Amino acid sequence: MNVTLIIIFILHGLVYAGLLFLVSSGLTLVFGMMNVLNFAHASFYMLAAYFSYSLLRWTGNFWLCLLVCPFLLFVIGALIERFLLRRVHVFGHLHELLLTFGIAFIISEVVKWVWGTAPLPIQIGGFLDSNFTVLGVIYPTYRFFVLFCSVLIGLLMSFLLLKTRMGITVRSAVDDSEMVNALGVNTPRVFMFVFALGAALSGLAGVISGPLLSINAGMATAILVDAFVVIVIGGFGSLIGAVVASLMIGQLQSFGALLFPKISLALIYLLMAIVLIAKPSGLFGEKK
Amino acid sequence: MKKNPNTIQIWGFIILLVLFFLPLVARPYIISLLTEMIIFSLYAVSYNLLLGFGGLLSFGHGMFLGLGAFTAGAMLQRIPGLPFFGAVLFGTLMATLIGLGVGCLLLRHKGTYYALLTLAFNALFYAVAIKWHAVTGGDDGLPVKRPNLHLGFVQLPMSDVTVFYYVTLVVIGCAVLFCWYFTKTAMGKTVLLVRENEERMQFIGYNPAVSRMILFTLTAFFAGLAGSFYALFFKFVGVDAIGVDMTTTALLMTFIGGTKNFFGPVLGAGFYIYFQNFLSNLTDRWPLFMGILFVLMVLFAPQGLSGLIRSLVDHFRKTGNGKATGKEAHPFGE
Repeated sequence: MNVTLIIIFILHGLVYAGLLFLVSSGLTLVFGMMNVLNFAHASFYMLAAYFSYSLLRWTGNFWLCLLVCPFLLFVIGALIERFLLRRVHVFGHLHELLLTFGIAFIISEVVKWVWGTAPLPIQIGGFLDSNFTVLGVIYPTYRFFVLFCSVLIGLLMSFLLLKTRMGITVRSAVDDSEMVNALGVNTPRVFMFVFALGAALSGLAGVISGPLLSINAGMATAILVDAFVVIVIGGFGSLIGAVVASLMIGQLQSFGALLFPKISLALIYLLMAIVLIAKPSGLFGEKK
Repeated sequence: MKKNPNTIQIWGFIILLVLFFLPLVARPYIISLLTEMIIFSLYAVSYNLLLGFGGLLSFGHGMFLGLGAFTAGAMLQRIPGLPFFGAVLFGTLMATLIGLGVGCLLLRHKGTYYALLTLAFNALFYAVAIKWHAVTGGDDGLPVKRPNLHLGFVQLPMSDVTVFYYVTLVVIGCAVLFCWYFTKTAMGKTVLLVRENEERMQFIGYNPAVSRMILFTLTAFFAGLAGSFYALFFKFVGVDAIGVDMTTTALLMTFIGGTKNFFGPVLGAGFYIYFQNFLSNLTDRWPLFMGILFVLMVLFAPQGLSGLIRSLVDHFRKTGNGKATGKEAHPFGE
């Protein structure tokens, strides 16, 4: 095994980690605040990928997809939170879980209905379709772009959460939403905003995953399970945990496919089982 | 008129009689539809032991049905001359053992964590089923031979739809009744009380984690049994038998039927199978309608069909006799 190969696989792992982080960060924030594990989160990702496919065929401009699709998902997420999720809040967590699960089910069926079950190819063309040479390794520019996007979003999010007033509100709502509500913040509106923002992030991940992985009806379940594993390993509601666990899963998947192709799929579950036994609350989770 | 246990027993008796004599008049298509309903009834009832009775939302129930089905099918293929109940035994045993193993890992968890972890385990077993081509047939699936049943001196031709129906009715029926009996035992009560007040049970000296694990293993056992019959009924096991979609099926059946009533899932399974057959003649996208129905029920009728029927009956009682019937005591408490 030579150095070039190792670099390529590290990069592969980083790219997938970036994607995974975009999906799981929204999931973990929403969970931290509302105590709702959103099963429909990965469906937003899938929906955005299909939207971008249609929009790309229509306009041929990938940058436009990057702007429009997350915005659409933001609106959809806000509507779902406002008109569906909030209604069942009084029935308790089980019902909220079941509701998001039902929504995920419906979205996946609608996607199959509208776009069919066959995988869809996506061509972006232009600058992003070229190759790039780094450290003597030829690597697709698009993968760098994915990496760049996820790092940028990660930094933006940490700035937003750590340095702005809105971020303080969100973080304190994650800690104790009742108290924040009592202090005069309209927490339902904050919830809606965070839920919609999570949907938009997931949507962005969906759009950039299109040219990277294939667009198909099973893509939601595939990333949902990985995102869940990230949350279990990183710890519920922990953003830094999501970063670390995404990096771990990304590298594990990349090198697992290289070194142990037969059992690569089982490796991440193995890691999850180990974390569960050693530290049930996750690496960065708080003991409840 | 107060609803007493006798009314329930009379209704149960009537339904059993109908199920018993129906094959004499019904067409083979109806009989095989009924067989499917009975098999899935057990699957849904065992799921509801977790969801309704134990208050645990599991997204990994499909793996036990799939494990039962694949083990029964693979054993029939590997061991020539394996009797009918030998295959069922292997299937059930495998599901139970895996259930025990996974149950041990889930020991400390409940709530959201539980849902998420069971889903991850289900995804793991699905991945194994797809990859392990030699045993499961991968994407192609596994064809299953249905052996005849030897009962001492008589041999029952299991290829006959009616004979298979009766065998299923007796075995699965007994299993469903055992599930019902379980809810009445001390162990069943323990599980129920752990759901209601875990801390208090701990103070009294029970170990909630262990009782959850026992419940999980038990439901794995019954799902495995249903899975073995699933393999023998369809004479084929595809990877979708072990997928997350199979878990979804259990959840939809149980929730549509109603989680608060023991026999709700039976109703749900019957309704689901019938509705599926009815809709799949009209459209390929029948799961969409099932999903919409599910979301509507979550929003507006969280008690499910059995809850709707109950409130309807209560309503008629009230208007008919001019007095309220009072709060009903039903098996799962409130």
